[in-house]
Amino acid sequence: MSNKKKLWQIFGPVLAAFALLAFVFLLPFSLTHFSQKSLKESSVSFSSQLVKGEAVKNAAFADKKVNYVPFFGSSELSRIDSLHPSVLAENYHRDYQPFMLGKAGSDSLVHFLNMQEMQKTLKTKKAVYVVSPQWFTKTGSDGGFDLFYSPLQVVDWMLNLGQNKPTKTDQFVASKVLDKGSVKNSPYYSRLLKQVAAGDKLTSAELSTLRLKHRILSRQDALFTRFEKTSNYKNRVLKAAKPLPEHYSESALDRLGYDEGKKNTSNNDFHIKNSFYTTRVMAEKKALKGAQKDYDYTQSVEYAYFQSVLDNFAKNHTDVMFVITPVNQRWAKYTGLNNTMYQESVAKIKYQLQSQGFNNIADLSRDGGEDYFMQDTIHVGWRGWLALDQYLNPFLSGPTEKTNYQINNRFLSKDWQNLKPSTDNLADFK
Amino acid sequence: MPNLQPYADPNYFIYLLLALVPLSIGLYFGKRFVTYEILVSLAFIFLIFDEGHYVNQGVALIIYSIWQFLLVWGYISYRKKANASWVFYLATALSILPIFLVRLAGAGLFHAQLSMLGFLGISYLTFRSVGMIIETRDGAAHDFHPIMFLRFMLFMPTLSSGPIDRYTRFAKDAAVAPEREKYIDLLGKAVKNLFLGFVYKFILSYYFGQIIYPYFQGMAMSDAHHGMVLSWWLIPVAYSYGMYLFFDFAGYSLFALAISYIMGIESPINFNKPYGAKNIKEFWNRWHMSLSFWFRDFVFMRFVFLFLKKKWIKNRNTVSTLAYFVNMLVMGFWHGLTWYYILYGFMHGAALAGNDAWIRFKRKHKGRIPHNKWTEGFAVVLTFHFVMLTFLVFCGFLDTFWFHR
Repeated sequence: MSNKKKLWQIFGPVLAAFALLAFVFLLPFSLTHFSQKSLKESSVSFSSQLVKGEAVKNAAFADKKVNYVPFFGSSELSRIDSLHPSVLAENYHRDYQPFMLGKAGSDSLVHFLNMQEMQKTLKTKKAVYVVSPQWFTKTGSDGGFDLFYSPLQVVDWMLNLGQNKPTKTDQFVASKVLDKGSVKNSPYYSRLLKQVAAGDKLTSAELSTLRLKHRILSRQDALFTRFEKTSNYKNRVLKAAKPLPEHYSESALDRLGYDEGKKNTSNNDFHIKNSFYTTRVMAEKKALKGAQKDYDYTQSVEYAYFQSVLDNFAKNHTDVMFVITPVNQRWAKYTGLNNTMYQESVAKIKYQLQSQGFNNIADLSRDGGEDYFMQDTIHVGWRGWLALDQYLNPFLSGPTEKTNYQINNRFLSKDWQNLKPSTDNLADFK
Repeated sequence: MPNLQPYADPNYFIYLLLALVPLSIGLYFGKRFVTYEILVSLAFIFLIFDEGHYVNQGVALIIYSIWQFLLVWGYISYRKKANASWVFYLATALSILPIFLVRLAGAGLFHAQLSMLGFLGISYLTFRSVGMIIETRDGAAHDFHPIMFLRFMLFMPTLSSGPIDRYTRFAKDAAVAPEREKYIDLLGKAVKNLFLGFVYKFILSYYFGQIIYPYFQGMAMSDAHHGMVLSWWLIPVAYSYGMYLFFDFAGYSLFALAISYIMGIESPINFNKPYGAKNIKEFWNRWHMSLSFWFRDFVFMRFVFLFLKKKWIKNRNTVSTLAYFVNMLVMGFWHGLTWYYILYGFMHGAALAGNDAWIRFKRKHKGRIPHNKWTEGFAVVLTFHFVMLTFLVFCGFLDTFWFHR
């Protein structure tokens, strides 16, 4: 065999491999199609992959048949029972269907990046944002950051920025994201973020590279997100809808919630769902007595992360409803969680919202003592979901309101993060 | 300035392979562009150490290289005139000194001061220079060639984690360009290694190391939090780590070899289906081979010869048993001064000695112990599971599991 032929035999397949790779990554047409079924499943998959990627989000929020509305939140979203928002929307053929984004660990910083991949959606759709006061610990609850982070989020963020000067919010978030392990280890992204944190504009050369990166990463995302298959819709949502009466009646549903709650919380005095109690509480019950008495949600960097999300909603004029969740009072009494402190943190969150014009607030924070309002320790269920529906349904079924938000960057400051709230000093904070 | 860790992501390969194109074309036409080769090597070494906490490591590498340069040069010059044992031992000790201090730092002694001496690849560079000193003592290396010495010590493809080459072998390759036929073969092997390496390192190692292994660790830790001293989850921890370690290291080695081949240097292979070994001795002939052969030649053999020559112990079997323990314990210490590395070394020493004893026993009772494909299959399975057990120790998870709950 001639040497030339040998070289072809060695490098021919390599060239073919690269050609194939270029074909897959760079051709302009879409390789993905999401069926109605798989979008429905995605809407209750609670997968971190959804937060990381953009393909499924784009497909769902552009869907012409179903009006998917983004629900940003964390662990509470997955507490499916007969009165869960996804179940009610399905059963009563509402003209919206919740699309759940988040699971345990997805706090505001995660959602800021998540939203960068769906700015267009936020411009055209309503949204629901579930705030858990539990996020607001001293150093923030972003231990789950790496689980939800993807470089694609940063690329989208940078492309959204374009050649504009980074805002105070961009600078703040960039400086925080820079500290995360998954970003620190990547010289490329840490360099970009350092630039943004310093308030410097991106150059057009950088933006071209970012567009190429976007092409490759989004193609990768489209190809690989579909590997995660769940069947929550089929197995949990549709099943939970079975006992629901044909016509919506608040009082009938309330009774149903009461009965289901009672039936499912029979093995403990805290009104905690049996399965949760046996797997998550029972073994540690002794150790948990009084364990939360020093918890403090009133001073936290999370207030500034939350502000970054508000800034992003304002930028896109999103008509958004905020939900503030309660804790199970029976359980809180046992663990010693200070209710005054809890309400102070809720007041601080609400001040941050209302003073900037975010007035759609479903504040459930005082209802955690109601029977079967909670499904477990800190997550609403049954009658809690129904109470929330009284806010959500009118909001989501009604027309989109024109928004009038006035962003105050002082809410990013250390002063605000560390402010110990009282009625006076909240009103004084400008 | 970008920072490029060796073989860390696909971009690295693009940059490196582009940089090697001129060298490769030269080699194809029978020319070795030594200056260009040195410049590319230095550039890529520089890019490992150019940023953040790596800068300090880069400085340590330079100081280390000067130290070893002077030592090897000094010893070769001395060896031409005389051959006293104490000088040899002194030179070896001084050559090992830096890594010894770095290992002390790893164990927590004078951590702040001594860890300054460490850098990515120090343990592998130590093998190269210590190997040279020993070869010199044995009369294998003759003259000191400063440039060749540095090309050998700082051979970029294998800088961070081997394979461990020998100076005489390396110098023979590096002095000339290979025959064209030979070079085409090397290119073919390089391409095959690169692509197999991608499968090993970026798919299998990722899957085992980033997904399965942490999952089982988490399950085991939750048993630990419940106060359990042992957990069934430790079993999958061991196996997932064992698979991860193989695919990670074998993948890396394939990359290092591929780049060596493209540079016209036939570095020794490192892995040869180790999990198919029939006994522990064969395992070490197939696992991290360049390391285990280095230890065999420079620790085990020398120990045995020394003991037999000086007649400190007469019985050959006793000497080799002792030598296995010394050999594997030194390897354990080389990995780091922690209880689990040392226990790992001890387990392998014991297994090697036990294996020898078993073979002697078999030989003595010829015909009475069955030997067929079933017993061989059993031996493979047994060896594999034993190795996994030792990897459970080696991976250090037990330390977390028991002592850092």
